[in-house]
Amino acid sequence: DIVKKQLVLPEGTDVTGASKFTDLGADSLDTVEIVMGLEEAFKISVDESSAQSIATVEDAAELIDKIVSNAK
Amino acid sequence: MASRSKLSGIQRQVLALYRGFLRTARLKSPEERHRIESVVSAEFRENARNIDRKNFVYIEYLLRRGKKQLEQLKDPDITGLSTLEINKVYKPLNLK
Repeated sequence: DIVKKQLVLPEGTDVTGASKFTDLGADSLDTVEIVMGLEEAFKISVDESSAQSIATVEDAAELIDKIVSNAK
Repeated sequence: MASRSKLSGIQRQVLALYRGFLRTARLKSPEERHRIESVVSAEFRENARNIDRKNFVYIEYLLRRGKKQLEQLKDPDITGLSTLEINKVYKPLNLK
């Protein structure tokens, strides 16, 4: 949902874990914004190199899980 | 993680700078934050469209300029962008 909102995707667009941000029409700047949005939504901080390695929704989800787990 | 097409070093610097601006914007009031985000986003995208990606000299100049502007923006006494030069539209040098 965060990804859809960020990319202003048309209603009904299918976004799955394997969806590449670039396939959804995102450029590098969009991806930065998505990661920033996720950081804020989950109250986490993503370091620079991790952020730049995210290419799919799944990548983002895995990274968030990892960060949230480490925080506990 | 799926690998993505490898970003060049200078591309990484640009994205890191963009992230820096967005992070700093969060520290401002909601209204100011929104304005900063709009201006910065438009600026980066315009430059992305207009500047030859091989014009490294100019890109590096813009990166240095952007970093200075970001440092200024981090000053809590600066509540907005009016004191910055960010609103200027860069005119890419026509190096031929």
